[in-house]
Amino acid sequence: MWDAALIALERFANPHHMAMLMAGVLAGTVIGILPGLGGIACVAILLPFIYTMDVHSAMVLLVGSLAVVHTSDTITSVLIGTPGSAAAAATILDGHPLAKQGQAGRALSAAFLSSMIGGLIGALFLTLSLPIARPLVLLFGSPELLMLCVLGLSFAGFLTGGAPLKGGLSACLGLLLGSVGSAPADAVDRYTFDQLYLLDGVPLVGVALGVFGIAEIIDLLAKGGQIAERINLGHGWLQGVRDVIQHWGIVVRGSLIGVWAGILPGIGATAGSWMAYGHVVAMARDRERFGKGDIRGVIGPESANNSVEAGDFIPTLLFSVPGGAPSAILLGALFFYGIQPGPRMVQENLDLIFTIIWSFAIANTIGAALCLFLSPALARLTWIPFARLAPAIVVTIFFGAFQSSQNFGDIYAMLGLGLLGWLMKQLGWPRAPFLVGFVLTKPTEQYLWLSISRYGMEWLSRPGVIVLGLLLLASIYWCIRGKSGGKEIPAEESGEGTAVLGKVPSVLFTSFVLLVVAAALYESRSFPYLGAIFPMAATIPAVFMAVAQLVLELRATRTAPGIETRPKTKLILGYFLSLVLFLLLILLLGFGIATALFTFVFLYGWVRTGWLYALIYTGSVVGVTLLMSQLLALYWPQGILLG
Amino acid sequence: MKKIRFRAGWPIGRWLAVFGLSFAVATQALGAAPYYEGKAIEVIIPFPVAGGSDIWIRTITPYLDKRIPGTPKFNFRNIGGGRGIPGMMEFAVKAKPDGLMLLVSSATNYFPVLLGDKAAKYDFRQWKPLLVNPVGGVMYASPAAGIKRVEDLAKAKNLIYGGISAIGLDLIPLISFELLEMDAKGVLGFRGRGEARIAFERGETNIDYQTTPAYNATVVPLIQEGKAIPLMSFGQLDDSGNIVRDPAVPDLPTVPEVYEKIKGKKPSGKFWETYKVFMPSAFAVQKILWVKADAPAEVLRVFYAAADQLGKDKDFLTKTDKVLGGYPLLRGDRLEKTIQQAFQIDAETQRFVREWVGKKYRVKLD
Repeated sequence: MWDAALIALERFANPHHMAMLMAGVLAGTVIGILPGLGGIACVAILLPFIYTMDVHSAMVLLVGSLAVVHTSDTITSVLIGTPGSAAAAATILDGHPLAKQGQAGRALSAAFLSSMIGGLIGALFLTLSLPIARPLVLLFGSPELLMLCVLGLSFAGFLTGGAPLKGGLSACLGLLLGSVGSAPADAVDRYTFDQLYLLDGVPLVGVALGVFGIAEIIDLLAKGGQIAERINLGHGWLQGVRDVIQHWGIVVRGSLIGVWAGILPGIGATAGSWMAYGHVVAMARDRERFGKGDIRGVIGPESANNSVEAGDFIPTLLFSVPGGAPSAILLGALFFYGIQPGPRMVQENLDLIFTIIWSFAIANTIGAALCLFLSPALARLTWIPFARLAPAIVVTIFFGAFQSSQNFGDIYAMLGLGLLGWLMKQLGWPRAPFLVGFVLTKPTEQYLWLSISRYGMEWLSRPGVIVLGLLLLASIYWCIRGKSGGKEIPAEESGEGTAVLGKVPSVLFTSFVLLVVAAALYESRSFPYLGAIFPMAATIPAVFMAVAQLVLELRATRTAPGIETRPKTKLILGYFLSLVLFLLLILLLGFGIATALFTFVFLYGWVRTGWLYALIYTGSVVGVTLLMSQLLALYWPQGILLG
Repeated sequence: MKKIRFRAGWPIGRWLAVFGLSFAVATQALGAAPYYEGKAIEVIIPFPVAGGSDIWIRTITPYLDKRIPGTPKFNFRNIGGGRGIPGMMEFAVKAKPDGLMLLVSSATNYFPVLLGDKAAKYDFRQWKPLLVNPVGGVMYASPAAGIKRVEDLAKAKNLIYGGISAIGLDLIPLISFELLEMDAKGVLGFRGRGEARIAFERGETNIDYQTTPAYNATVVPLIQEGKAIPLMSFGQLDDSGNIVRDPAVPDLPTVPEVYEKIKGKKPSGKFWETYKVFMPSAFAVQKILWVKADAPAEVLRVFYAAADQLGKDKDFLTKTDKVLGGYPLLRGDRLEKTIQQAFQIDAETQRFVREWVGKKYRVKLD
């Protein structure tokens, strides 16, 4: 085995291979930074280039780009509070507050370093587990996988901050949104309102970009000024390195969680990074600072999201079962070279496996170094008045949301969820449980369905299930004890300024949530037995919690909202409407013209920059997006009026 | 020697006549500019990136474009979701009769039509198949279920099959179980055939099927280790539409052959009728590249010619073998009748299938 590893390593002495790797790393870094674009976009852009290469060069290129996407996506999450890819949403919780406190350098360097170590641990684990990977994967049946998912869901309990009721409701809403679409075995369509778009559910990219991205952008715009005060970055990045060394245990545990999330089918990078975040909070002695800029909240998910990709190679290469869309494309590329991954892969193509592992490890290191090198410059982005950054970010977010399914439904969903996310943020509803619930609904339901239809109720008595069940009980106990033991965690970012919204909107929002869950519960009566379990599990507790929350809010004393509340609310509505307007412009005039109009009017008319500045800015935004459209073969429907 | 002199005195009309004549001669001699010269073809893929059909078309086009005069550029548009219906409708509504928009389809797109799904408002009769790629399927079982040979199926008890959805490709194995009157039930909800195979290896299920390429790569090693017993293939169609042995696995009997072996008579009955309707669209004509039926004749001609050339191209055949599954890439016109027949279903069979999946697998069809 080690011979093959060395032969594969020798290939990298070839400048051609290194050039391919660098090309992949550069592409991955850029795509990772762009909000909403992740591994799929990366491989889709590079795929047309591989048809003239040999299989090793092609794998070096593709794997090289995949390995760094989850390193560089952190940049957007930390600096702008908008997920660079869905898997980077967990990093926002603590990374973005750190950036606002002027510690962007520290957060970024800690993130890159833990990403790199996570990736390397993933690669090492991948290598060591090659001989035993097959039995390892076969160890987990549907019931055990189900218990793992439930354990992951229970972590949502740790993310509720100081508002357990709101957090619980938020998780239930996530579960409810996750159960939109066809039930796992296609038996019934739930909450689709006869819309074909909703048959497959709302895509993750749209949800992550909406709940975190749009909400944050509107908020930053309304706040005005720049993201962080212009202070000396100093040796912030050195502090980040020290943080990682100090919390090396979190890095190792986070990486291992990531590797497993990759190996086990259906979990994926996003759920993996949330699980890693949840475990960091669960195991911390002091939880006060989480959500307000605790460096451990950056290190945990970042060490996980790179190793997920390494773990994902195991089912892809040894079982021919890809864990996510990027590895599915990788599998397709292997088919193209006449290689069908499977049990024989280790015997017949061991050197190719090592080419992949080495590419992953080397690209990881180079990518982290590159990002680290770029980060002082990138951190300065937080000093620019945000309104000047906003048009470019908005255009990329729309672009990113549209590329996953090329359906306008994604953009409607993103805007709607953006409003929801903003309201949740203002009213002190934690958003993390919402995303955890949403991400884990599909696999949990699938494994519940499989366990019950395969084993009936017997699945509960399997030894693996019992062990994981005990772990689940321990986790719940921990969570409750942590709460009652005075280790209160304040709601995310609640400490900032006066709440814009007072008692009346709060009551209205809770009533609205109550109405939605009650209607969903009423609707779920008509679903067949297995298809109804999930909507009911989400809505029945949600109804009780919503009623309790409503009573609490009605009894609360009327807090005086800040003096500038009314104009600020108006301003926020205005910004939100400008996004809706952008969408309407796209529908009417097509994407190119709409982008140009939106960017120019926003800059010249609203931000009041010089016309030349606005013109050059507009030109570059339009140019870059059109180039990206071309590369991704992205199709924008022509506008109704022009085209 | 006489000097060649420019005839300046000619009127403009004569110049034009000469120019026109020489142009006509030139085009006659060189042949008209190819139809696809400098054009781009947009291929609609009604699935997300990296699905089976997506990989299929993306793998063959780098070979296909060189064989088409004018080497058009192929652009792909994945319209995923909604059981493939939005993508199919996009083609049905937007494609013009110019051969510049094509569509890739797979079994997922045929079953809504066969099952009478009202949302599937597309009509295959308005399109023509350019290229067709059959796929095969092989069933195998676990020796732990007490099966050593295919004949043991009749007395095997408690067979459990892992599938994705009762109204997808899994319909074929599920119908086969009913046809052969086996004591088997389907556990549905897996995300893909690969995950279902992992469940088989884990012992959660004990009967399974894989498409032939996946079978060769991932199941044959299991058979060699004694962990799986090959049973039968779903068969392929011959030129007159009869179900015959699958050329990719010629040693394995087909489902109707196994029926004869077990029951001692030719298959008949409702389940047999259903099998005959659904098997071809699920496997024998699974992947199809379509164009609007009123496209220029040249479009059809160049694609058929390209298919013929690719069939003789060693490099293409070896490189794409895994993606094509060991089956030839066929010209659409050869199979046109079979294909159009494959999408016909009589009202009685349709009602029967809908009732059966509704009762046995609780599928609610509108």
